[in-house]
Amino acid sequence: MRNVASTPKKIGDIQFGLLGPQEIRSMSATKIITADTYDDDGFPIEMGLMDPRLGVIEPGLRCKTCGNTVGDCPGHFGHIDLAMPVIHVGYNWMIRNILRSTCRNCGRMLATDSEIEDYHATMEEWRTQNRDVWELIKKTIKKETRGKSGHECVHCGEIQKKVEFDKPSTYREEGHKLTPVDIREWLERVRPEEAELLGLNPDVAKPEWMVLTVMPVPPVTMRPSITLESGERSEDDLTHKLVDVLRINQRLQENRDAGAPQLIVEDLWELLQYHITTCIDNESSGIPPARHRSGRPLKTLSQRLKGKEGRFRQNLSGKRVNFSARTVISPDPNISINDVGVPEASALELTVPLNVTPYNIDVAREFVKNGPKEHPGANYVVRPDGRRLKVTELNAENLALRLEPGYTIERHLVDGDIVLFNRQPSLHRMSIMAHEVRVMPAKTFRINLSVCPPYNADFDGDEMNLHVLQSEEARAEAKILMRVQEHILSPRFGGPIVGGIHDEVSGGFVLTHKHKHYAKKEALDILSRARFQSELPEPDKVEDGTEYFTGKQIFSLLLPSDLNLKYRSEICPHKDCDPWDPETGEGCEFDGYVVVEDGELVAGTIDEKSIGAFQGEFINRIIRRHGASFTREFIDRMTRLVLGAIMHDGFSTAIDDEDIPAQAQQQIDDNVQEARDNVEDLIRQFEEGELEQMPGRGLEETLELKIMQELGEARDQAGKIAGEHLGMENPSVIMARSGARGSMLNLSQMAGVVGQQAVRGERITRGYEDRTLSHFERGDLGADAKGFVESSYKDGLSPTEFFFHSMGGREGLVDTAVRTARSGYMQRRLINALEDLRVEYDGTVRNTVGTVIQFMYGEDGIDPTKSHRGKPVNVTQIVSDVVGETAEDEPVEQVDEDAYDSQDAELMRSLQDEMDIQNPDDFEGAE
Amino acid sequence: MRELVNAFFDERSAAQHHISSYNDFVDNWIQSVVDNISVGDDEVPDGIIQTDVEGYKIKMGSIRVGRPQRKEADGSTDYLTPMEARLRDMTYDAPIFMEFIPVLEGIEHEPEEVNIGNLPIMVGSSRCNIEKDNLEELQNASYTHEEYYQELQRLQEDPLDPGGYFIANGSERVLVSLEDLAPNKVMVEFKKRYGRQVEVAKVFSQRNGYRALISVEKKRDGSLMVDVPNASNQIPLIVFMRALGLQTDEELVKAIVTHPDMMPTVLANIEDAREEHDVADRDEAIEFLGRKLAGGQAREYRRQRAESLMDRTLLPHLGHDPAERLKKAVYLGRMARSVLELAQGRNEEDDKDHYANKRIKLAGNLMEDLFRVSFTQLAKDIKYQIERAHSRNRELKVSTAVRSDVLSQRLLHALSTGNWVGGRSGVSQLLDRTAALAAYSHVRRVVSPLARSQPHFEARDLHPTQWGRLCPNETPEGPNCGLVKNMALTTEVSEGAEGEDIRHSLYDLGVEPLEVSEVTGGDDE
Repeated sequence: MRNVASTPKKIGDIQFGLLGPQEIRSMSATKIITADTYDDDGFPIEMGLMDPRLGVIEPGLRCKTCGNTVGDCPGHFGHIDLAMPVIHVGYNWMIRNILRSTCRNCGRMLATDSEIEDYHATMEEWRTQNRDVWELIKKTIKKETRGKSGHECVHCGEIQKKVEFDKPSTYREEGHKLTPVDIREWLERVRPEEAELLGLNPDVAKPEWMVLTVMPVPPVTMRPSITLESGERSEDDLTHKLVDVLRINQRLQENRDAGAPQLIVEDLWELLQYHITTCIDNESSGIPPARHRSGRPLKTLSQRLKGKEGRFRQNLSGKRVNFSARTVISPDPNISINDVGVPEASALELTVPLNVTPYNIDVAREFVKNGPKEHPGANYVVRPDGRRLKVTELNAENLALRLEPGYTIERHLVDGDIVLFNRQPSLHRMSIMAHEVRVMPAKTFRINLSVCPPYNADFDGDEMNLHVLQSEEARAEAKILMRVQEHILSPRFGGPIVGGIHDEVSGGFVLTHKHKHYAKKEALDILSRARFQSELPEPDKVEDGTEYFTGKQIFSLLLPSDLNLKYRSEICPHKDCDPWDPETGEGCEFDGYVVVEDGELVAGTIDEKSIGAFQGEFINRIIRRHGASFTREFIDRMTRLVLGAIMHDGFSTAIDDEDIPAQAQQQIDDNVQEARDNVEDLIRQFEEGELEQMPGRGLEETLELKIMQELGEARDQAGKIAGEHLGMENPSVIMARSGARGSMLNLSQMAGVVGQQAVRGERITRGYEDRTLSHFERGDLGADAKGFVESSYKDGLSPTEFFFHSMGGREGLVDTAVRTARSGYMQRRLINALEDLRVEYDGTVRNTVGTVIQFMYGEDGIDPTKSHRGKPVNVTQIVSDVVGETAEDEPVEQVDEDAYDSQDAELMRSLQDEMDIQNPDDFEGAE
Repeated sequence: MRELVNAFFDERSAAQHHISSYNDFVDNWIQSVVDNISVGDDEVPDGIIQTDVEGYKIKMGSIRVGRPQRKEADGSTDYLTPMEARLRDMTYDAPIFMEFIPVLEGIEHEPEEVNIGNLPIMVGSSRCNIEKDNLEELQNASYTHEEYYQELQRLQEDPLDPGGYFIANGSERVLVSLEDLAPNKVMVEFKKRYGRQVEVAKVFSQRNGYRALISVEKKRDGSLMVDVPNASNQIPLIVFMRALGLQTDEELVKAIVTHPDMMPTVLANIEDAREEHDVADRDEAIEFLGRKLAGGQAREYRRQRAESLMDRTLLPHLGHDPAERLKKAVYLGRMARSVLELAQGRNEEDDKDHYANKRIKLAGNLMEDLFRVSFTQLAKDIKYQIERAHSRNRELKVSTAVRSDVLSQRLLHALSTGNWVGGRSGVSQLLDRTAALAAYSHVRRVVSPLARSQPHFEARDLHPTQWGRLCPNETPEGPNCGLVKNMALTTEVSEGAEGEDIRHSLYDLGVEPLEVSEVTGGDDE
């Protein structure tokens, strides 16, 4: 039965209705009478709650129709004939509204005939307009519901009484209790047409069905019993509840038949109501939840569906699936960005179905012949009749011969297969991308480094998930739409999100900075990593018979010949220097002005802005001109080239990279001392009342601001001094300036001054009375007492400096932890709100009903992926292309993620505090 | 520096705080718990089980805890070592013996010593079989440090094991220290209410395990309200103080006001009490309380409820006798004063993260709470058994009425599940034995009761008062960041002392006690 491919079908309609007693009885497999479950031998009892024909749980086969356990028997409903009718909790709201808006005598609505006609008409109208009819129904109900008593029914003249409602299921009419029987009779009197106006489709949902006469019994498969290790059988919560219902029902029947006093019968009836209510929803307000023997409340039907662990979120919106794998990831620069390295062990276990046809029967035979243990082999052979045959070493040969078209085999995962690869949290669509399999030894998944940014993966122990696509359609869709190369540009900002990171960027720098020369052999060596096949150009210079090439030349060999760029890279801090001229040595001292002419890198150093993951001008330009596949090749090649370059000379760093000459250190110390003096001065001014208040700020605030400013400048100054003595030969500086890793701030903290620590934007304030630590005097407002760390990391921090530093660091960790949770909740809400919106063929954005949300996507019709960092058109480039001269791109406003982070974090925090937004899932039960 | 730290640990275990706390519990506190239990229907004096049998009551005697033993199938008993308990999945516990004195018609009879159950013993404590003094006693020897180490090795125990944990059914369980706000201390803060901020003074008043949060709030219109548990609405301060015994306007003002700026508010409150609530003296105040608590019930009952509220529920740390009501009134006055000081800007909010405002509940404290509840259960069961025996005309013997299971089961269940009295879960944790350091770190952990799901930014921050007490760096990443802390190297946890003892010491030293009236008439302290 499994794996029978059925033709895809589209769902036509879904109709929700009520289950009436007749239907319940007809779908029931058996009537349930006894409250006993199993008999003495451990077998289920007839007419009891567990399997007389209700379903199978044990691998003991048999069931009414289906043999097998294996989920083949879906379970069958039973029914309990209730001694007396009972209200169904879930429909309370509806029952209440109907009672309140209809006459107690004739059952008609309490509206005049004309009003009723109007309602009908409006409903028709709304239906054709595709409006949400429920809105109308709710309005109707609201209007027609009467609060007080005394109204006269327009149709029969009966005076209505006030209908009150005690949760959870008692109705009172002006104090007099309405029994479920009364209610049922009343509901029977309601006319179908009017029921429609109140929200019930009379064809499938007769109002009286909201009062239960027959209780459907959920199949055994829905409430399986568990056998504990002690041998006892433990029943499911639902089964316990049903036992209660059954018992009371029995008693009620007996008592009523035997003619017991009214009171007893009523009591039992109420008890029955309680049990049935509780069976459906144990969290109903107003009634004590039914509890297990141990004291914990039972989990009944509605609890099974609700909340994060409920059916919808846990088992339907997301499920556990077969053909999936998960391991630790490790880097591999030698595979393409489209590839994923799969451990051999996984490849032997994850299979792909192959339908055997006359065209592939030979290939299929090979797979099966290899058997399950040798890759590439197969694990199962499925006959056309559905039987699955396990392939073993013994029968492999045999089975291979017996293969015929019409069979299906499950073959191992093989190089080139398309799989979905993902890292959680899956925040954007690039968190799941299609990759081509490459089976490799060892136990980790391997990915190319440049594909880390979209997944936000690092290799400190991260794990990722892999899903093997099973059908040809799926493979095709994934290959066309989801491959990594299709996602090189991010829909968020219209720029590349796949690109060089870390060492790749350092490598680019080392290769192309100024005058780096490589001998022919060396050059070829590096180029071989990029699988370079063509001819070398003319060497830049020849010395002693050896030809020498520049790094720029080598890099250019990978560039397409129609590439023309001119821009300033990150390396140069100035805004106005000229390109560096290799001959004259004039121009930007950092060689920071990148010029590419017809595919030749003429000037400039390759850094993060050129090939990096978030800016990558080269990648950006190439992908728009040459498309995804070409760019993929380029990225693969370029990263390998650049890594080869850095491995050629080697690259390392040590603490002595942050050494600065004594004289510089002295300068820094003097600077800081001067700042300290200024701070003391400011404090003195403050204390003596001489301090001038800044407009709009208090006196203390002004003082703090000025002090922070002073100390901040001191640190920056120290950083600058240190920076002057750290040149471009320094590996740490190379990494910082090229954008590979780290920043000049990091370096200045290591070499110069760590700086002022802050908690929530202010200097350290909290602590003992009038002072931070007991090491200081009360009232000390000086630099040291409030968290200024003068030492550098190399110098080492004093005990108080260390403590303040820990305080500042702690805030960062807390922030990250809290932010992750909050943003997750926000993301979920946004997604739930937006998930069924779609851009239609007419360009509008509509939801499933057809309502227009936007008349043009994004109000401008622009696909952000294809935009140029937010701008629809890159005018400069168009002009350049037309005119033939490369113009310099305007400096692009880069999004400073870090700055946003701290500002935003603060803002978000205060907003959320005020609005008190919490994720309801985080609230466990009362602790 | 190193020598100092080494010397420190020569004498102390890494888990010394747990061990000392537990020792205090077993040696001292357990007796006082027993002495303060009272079981019976109406007002029963402490230390007595009052049964429904005519004239029969049981008085509590002395309690003692033995050493862990094991009982074999053939009946022989022997001393149990922790290692054997770990290997054989046994519980490392010792029998508890208690003296019961049956009192018939006021005449005390022979005390009976009964085994009332088993108390889990902490490894390394004063009742542990491998503790140095105990071991020396058991083996009739005297050891140097090295000899002690070797002897432990011979017994297959780890000499470097920190101890400080229990063994329940073979698994080692740590009662992780809880960090909580200091009880019986008035703290003022602002309360945020969708717009305005009001000032409130709170006290976590605690006595014998019963904990009540009493607060005095200054509302937006200036009225001072008292909030007391079990009273669903707030009660005007002045009314309450009148009910407690401060009747005249002068007395009230003197108890609250220290600064002229406070006068208008206080006078307004007093006037309110007179005009709006019609309360001008103590009886009217008590009636007011009664009406608020149980309006519509009989007059007698109302008065009873009011008095019970004042004695038992309000400020229990000051006593539950009617004689102490005046003290409570003065205390309420002090609370009001703090609120007004805050409102006028004469004071700052109390810093709830300042360690001076925090107390640590160690293993001993937790066991005390657990024992108190479990023993009360046992006492109730004894009462029930006695009454049953009596109705069946059997001999009334305490030893037959005691079911040792009741106590032992409860203690063990809490210890093994981590679900403690008071609703907290995760109190007892499986000792982390990943590495030697892991165990050391685990026993020195301090946990905040605040909810993990809430941000609680300020509670998670590193506070300067943690210097030298809690590690600035060791805290988990993620939702527990900053809420789970670890003790610093040389941290010692000081003991709490009973107020009584301090007071006695002070009197001994020559301090003269004041009368309450002098206090209300005098200045602030």
